[in-house]
Amino acid sequence: MSEPVVIVKNATRSFPRHRTIGDILTRRPATEVKAVDGVSFTLSPGEVMAVVGESGCGKTTTANLVMGLLTPTSGEIEVDGLDLGGANRAALREARRRIQMVFQDPYESLNPRMTVYDIVAEPLRVHKATANRAEEKMRVEQSLEFAGLRPAARFGGLRPHELSGGMRQRVVIAGALVLEPAVLVADEPVSMLDVSIRAEILNLLGALATEKNIAVLMITHDLSTVAAYADRVAVMYLGRIVELGPTLDVMTDARHPYTQALLSVVPVPHPDRRRPRVILSGETPDPSRIPPGCRFHPRCPVAVAACESTDPADVQVSPGHTAACLLVTE
Amino acid sequence: MSWYRRLWLHPLGRVGLVMLGVVLVVAIFAPLLAPYDPYASARVTVDDIYARPTGAHLLGTDDAGKDVLSSLFYGARVSLIVGFSAATIALLIGGTVGIIAGYRGGKLGSGLMRITDFFLVVPELALQIVIVAIVGQSLRNIILVIGVLGWTTTARLVRSQTLTVRERKFVERARAIGAGDLPILIRHVLPQVLPLMLANTVLVISLAILSESTLAFLGLGDPTQISWGQMLNFAFSRGAVSAGAWWALVPPGLAIVWVVLGTTMVGNALEDMFNPRVGRHHLEKERGLRLRIDAPVPAANNIALSIRNLVVEFESESGPLTAVDGVSFDVANGQSVGLVGESGCGKTTTMLAALRLLPPGGSCPGGEVVFDGIDLTTLPEDELRELRWTRLAMVFQGAMNALNPVRTVGDQIVEAIRVHDNSQSRSAAMGRARELLELVGIGAGRADEFPHQFSGGMRQRAMIALALACEPEVIVADEPTTALDVMIQAQVMNLLVEIRRRMGMAMVLITHDLGVVAESCDRVVVMYGGVIAEQGTVDEVYSHPQHPYTRLLLEAIPDMDRPERALIAIPGAPPRLDELPPGCRFAPRCPQAFDRCHSERPGMSIIGPGHEASCFLLEESVRV
Repeated sequence: MSEPVVIVKNATRSFPRHRTIGDILTRRPATEVKAVDGVSFTLSPGEVMAVVGESGCGKTTTANLVMGLLTPTSGEIEVDGLDLGGANRAALREARRRIQMVFQDPYESLNPRMTVYDIVAEPLRVHKATANRAEEKMRVEQSLEFAGLRPAARFGGLRPHELSGGMRQRVVIAGALVLEPAVLVADEPVSMLDVSIRAEILNLLGALATEKNIAVLMITHDLSTVAAYADRVAVMYLGRIVELGPTLDVMTDARHPYTQALLSVVPVPHPDRRRPRVILSGETPDPSRIPPGCRFHPRCPVAVAACESTDPADVQVSPGHTAACLLVTE
Repeated sequence: MSWYRRLWLHPLGRVGLVMLGVVLVVAIFAPLLAPYDPYASARVTVDDIYARPTGAHLLGTDDAGKDVLSSLFYGARVSLIVGFSAATIALLIGGTVGIIAGYRGGKLGSGLMRITDFFLVVPELALQIVIVAIVGQSLRNIILVIGVLGWTTTARLVRSQTLTVRERKFVERARAIGAGDLPILIRHVLPQVLPLMLANTVLVISLAILSESTLAFLGLGDPTQISWGQMLNFAFSRGAVSAGAWWALVPPGLAIVWVVLGTTMVGNALEDMFNPRVGRHHLEKERGLRLRIDAPVPAANNIALSIRNLVVEFESESGPLTAVDGVSFDVANGQSVGLVGESGCGKTTTMLAALRLLPPGGSCPGGEVVFDGIDLTTLPEDELRELRWTRLAMVFQGAMNALNPVRTVGDQIVEAIRVHDNSQSRSAAMGRARELLELVGIGAGRADEFPHQFSGGMRQRAMIALALACEPEVIVADEPTTALDVMIQAQVMNLLVEIRRRMGMAMVLITHDLGVVAESCDRVVVMYGGVIAEQGTVDEVYSHPQHPYTRLLLEAIPDMDRPERALIAIPGAPPRLDELPPGCRFAPRCPQAFDRCHSERPGMSIIGPGHEASCFLLEESVRV
């Protein structure tokens, strides 16, 4: 495999929690929310990786760290050869060309008053990436066509409200693609779309990786649809990756009890094949109060006494497949 | 439609525009229209002072013997010049302050807003008088003073609009692309803010005209210029009242009222057009009442809700559009039915029409909805209101945001109970509310908490508790778990299924997720393009799907038992209401469509007991 284009090493990011007047009066110490608490992974060109977890697990913070929109509190984040933690503003701005983003809501992320052409051309104009109008037109049309909006000339003149949800998301992808980025971060790219058209958008993201050699990082809560399109899956819980591995391995041989629970609640599309489901009670706990020991133990259906005191390290299950659980053995 | 055309079509807007147009024409052509030049000094005799209206002086003369009508025409010029110039200054200052405060936020933003608040509470007129008295009474000074003091409302308005736009995703996207602040402001923020500013402009102009008149009336106008306020000032201070010369007072007064009324009307019309806050929420008012005398009601004993040949239309500029076209299905007592299909296929519209909650512009010209032997489509509104919620409850999509943020969750459930059954005491109702919260897994102890203390999943549970408050016989749940996390989705669906079984309620579950239907429903109704494509028991439909659309939908959802299977997508999009295909609604996207599908609409083919599908392929195979 080629050199990784994204390297995240033991990254953490905490946010100071807002102190209320009551907190100050009672001299309650300022607390921190550890949104990302020691995350490491690499991503290679042409690879699609999914980061899966519930809200509050730190997946969006991880995406913002890779995008350079947030700086890590500690640890290293290197994208396309640039250390984002130590980079200055100018270097970050330059890096932004190489890292593009696809947003969750294609209805909201397009300016309703702009034409499709202008939306896709905007990144080029912002970065003054083309020498003249002719080159701009060529690159915009190439992007639109790659994103499946053919003929590009016809779609270019339309406005977002004239397009279906799927087409709008294609416009967003075309806009992300036009600067020829090295990394594409897609935050819940299909959760707002109908089930019936999710596959085509995910296929398009897959094609970006294989044909344009872009590294794609997908952020999602949907293990069943989105993650299935990734080469590798990282399952996050309370700021930490608890299981990471090739998609098929994780789907068929999940080792971490949290991953197993997530897989068990995916509805089975057939009434005859109901499976035992592990519905975890409660919600993801508050990231400002991460439990001691294994952070999952209060909700874990198979926790043992040791889980309350020992923070499990990653255990390698098979090549490239790790799980952070005391009960997992090699 | 362009905004000025819409303004012209707006009744208030048109009247206001005509009123202002008259003033504008008068002001521009004052030298041509006015019979005399009020600025020219003429020889005046005693008879000319406060002369009654005559043929020579249609509105009489003033204290200096000048023609009132001519002064009125020339006065329009000063009023408009002051109005427009002062408004321009106010808008430039207010717009800049508002955009900077809204876009930058932080210390600078709050600092600017403190200054704005300060100017807002300072009595404007008093300040104007003081300043004008100090700087001198020239027209330029008056314009500057009015403009510089009149920007506060604009600043506040622009700031709040900028704040909203700043949070929108396309601005975030532009930032992620790497665009700087100025391009974002010009390309993304300004176009969204300008329409509202336009509505505000008109009101600022009207205020400026009023301010100028007030200042002039108080003797602080420019003495060398004739304005309406100046005319009033002279008339009052120089004995028009004692002379009984009403003609010197009434015309300038009416002119001021005329202009202010005109601008206010245009302003309100613009506000109506641009400000969505004024628009009505789609649940506020019910429409689509259709009177019919002898409704034949099918007698069925175990059917909780029966929808027969339901048709729903929406008004549009090009005539009525059919959103739901002849939908029929039954929900048996205690049964749960999944209503599935892509967005825009009419699922939600069908159920909203069934409960007569269609948004304005929607109507139900055909079909019947029978609940407990009563046809809901013809039921008088007040009787229907009693049925709704007590016996037929609906949980809307994103309902968790529908809780009142300033009242405790327990209170809101109590209110729901007592609105429909005021025989219950408050404490009895509270007891019931606690039971309900316990039932949905929130816990009775949290009845005294406010919605913001709940997470999204808990708010959704609270909404379910609210829907269950009156123990309805039928509950309609529209995408109850969309926007929730997977684990919370599983919790909420599990809860709904369990409670439904325990209470013996019938349920209609609207969803696009066939997986959820398989796990929680007895029957499934697949809709496409406003019609039913296929319906039957979940077992039948999932094991032997007959309609190509059902088959494709099943292929499009993931199956964890077969993770290696590639999902398929259905190419294209559901038809738009104004472009419904002439034949089968699904034909343009159907991989198996043949000639007949494109020209003729298929009827329902019965496949088995309660299992039917609408596809020519079935007819063909039956015939063979």
